[in-house]
Amino acid sequence: MFTIFWYSLGRSRGQILGWGLILAVLGGYLVGFYDTLAEQQEVMEQLLHSYPPELMAFFGDFGQMFTPQGYLHIEFFSYMPLILGIYAVLAGSGLLVGDEESGTLDLLMAQPLSRTAFYLGRLAAFATTTFLILLVTWAGFAVVVPGTTMDVTPLDLAAPFLSLFIFLMLFGFLALLLSMLLPSRRFAAMAGGMLLVASFFISSLARIDDNLVKVAEYSPFNYYQGGEAIIGLDWGWIGGLLGFALLFALLAWWRFERRDIRVGGEGGWGVSLPAFLKRRRFRSERLSSQL
Amino acid sequence: METTIVIYAQGLLKSYGRIQALRGVDLEVRQGEIFGFLGPNGAGKTTTIRCLLDLIRPNGGALRVLGIDPQANPVAVRSRMGYLPGELHFDEGMTVERALRYLNKLRGGRADWSYVLRLAERLDLNLKMAIRNLSKGNKQKMGVLQALMHRPELLLLDEPTFGLDPLVQQEVLRMVAEAREQGATIFFSSHILSEVQEIADRVGIIRLGKVVEVAETASLINRSLRRVHLRFRAPVDPRELTGVPGVTILFQDDGLSATLQVEGEMDALIKKIAAFQVVDMEIERPSLEEIFLAYYERERVRVNST
Repeated sequence: MFTIFWYSLGRSRGQILGWGLILAVLGGYLVGFYDTLAEQQEVMEQLLHSYPPELMAFFGDFGQMFTPQGYLHIEFFSYMPLILGIYAVLAGSGLLVGDEESGTLDLLMAQPLSRTAFYLGRLAAFATTTFLILLVTWAGFAVVVPGTTMDVTPLDLAAPFLSLFIFLMLFGFLALLLSMLLPSRRFAAMAGGMLLVASFFISSLARIDDNLVKVAEYSPFNYYQGGEAIIGLDWGWIGGLLGFALLFALLAWWRFERRDIRVGGEGGWGVSLPAFLKRRRFRSERLSSQL
Repeated sequence: METTIVIYAQGLLKSYGRIQALRGVDLEVRQGEIFGFLGPNGAGKTTTIRCLLDLIRPNGGALRVLGIDPQANPVAVRSRMGYLPGELHFDEGMTVERALRYLNKLRGGRADWSYVLRLAERLDLNLKMAIRNLSKGNKQKMGVLQALMHRPELLLLDEPTFGLDPLVQQEVLRMVAEAREQGATIFFSSHILSEVQEIADRVGIIRLGKVVEVAETASLINRSLRRVHLRFRAPVDPRELTGVPGVTILFQDDGLSATLQVEGEMDALIKKIAAFQVVDMEIERPSLEEIFLAYYERERVRVNST
């Protein structure tokens, strides 16, 4: 398991540095800009009131724009789940099926290594990669924040990153589960991406449309705190998202333990049907052949 | 002395949706032998091998590899095996050496690295090369090397010489023979019949997901099929010869010469041609390839007639 973990983590170093450094620079810049924005609060408030409410709904509560948590949420944490969510969905859907489709999984799984050990090694590498991306990003914020008037400590800043991390795990593990059920990685990434975007839109639009409030209760975005986590994490929400993430990971493991490792041309690329449906289909085939 | 069975399959079934890939494979491979598994594309060779490794799960039948059920304890089976996949792919971002060290690490670092270097030298494989820059043949060499490097008890090789030039093919076959001399059992699939004929002790022929014949390679070649070239003093009506059971005319020229394929015993033909004045008679044993094709033709006719 550890060999798989270190090897997979090594393969992700480009992602860690690429995503991490870009987001760290962006974060540092945004934190540094806070003082400038605070100096021009009156002008900014007038500008914000001129924006249509439909647009404002996607970025959170603009009344909180001049508090650290409101500012960081609007400028960064409101849309990060969408941007890094796409990374999580792509990485999750390709965690096992990526190797399967490129043909490298066949040889790896022929080594004396249980499927569970392989699965856990890959899963841990994905979680660690995501964690390290967020850690590098957090460092960009944390380095700049003491030099501003923003009344937050680097430790306070870690809270919204934790909220974001759990959210990314949820969608990464969901995409992994979908990749175990759907015929290809592309389908899984597409379905996971659609759910991510739909969740973002439903939760955002529910702020201006009361009809969507009930539906939004089922949207994971509803339980993502973002910048608000600076003033206190909602452990119930964190626990709920983490619970579902672990459930998806468990179901994906269960499926991986039982499925065939596919190679091209074997006819194993169909949609995975539950066993009871397969039995029924075979039975009906048998009956029709008897008739 | 009792023979140990290393691979045992009985009534092995595997379907992919509506496609029945294996329709009851029965197979026994003995310890220390080289077993050639023959069949055309889609016959079920790769599916059988992947069931042995627990990469895919059969829908029915019994399977034991090295005395172990691969589904119950796949790690124990794989730790004693070397495997060369038919469709070989490596992580292209690595060098040959790094990939081999990685695979070795997954095996608990069992391979003796000086042995790896010796194998690489024999195959003329540069370990410092990036995998993405390797040709198909060099990737195949790498596949052979990783299968052999930890000196496994059982080698499963799916088309081991595919993509290799004739000189390297010979070297690989020598390595396989050496592995057997050191006590390994080798199960390999191929449709290059000449190489099966060259090194296999026994041959299994698979057709449409069922093993239709298992025999000693030599006895399969010697047993049933012969080619007979005849030259007569006076023309002979070919119908006289086709009436003999097991005889097919492959070629005839004005009734003075004929080439026949004889399946089964020669007795009936010899008695038949004794009535004519025979100038010359030459009996040729066919290659495994011809036997294989004859097998398929016979099976095809049998299936069509039923």
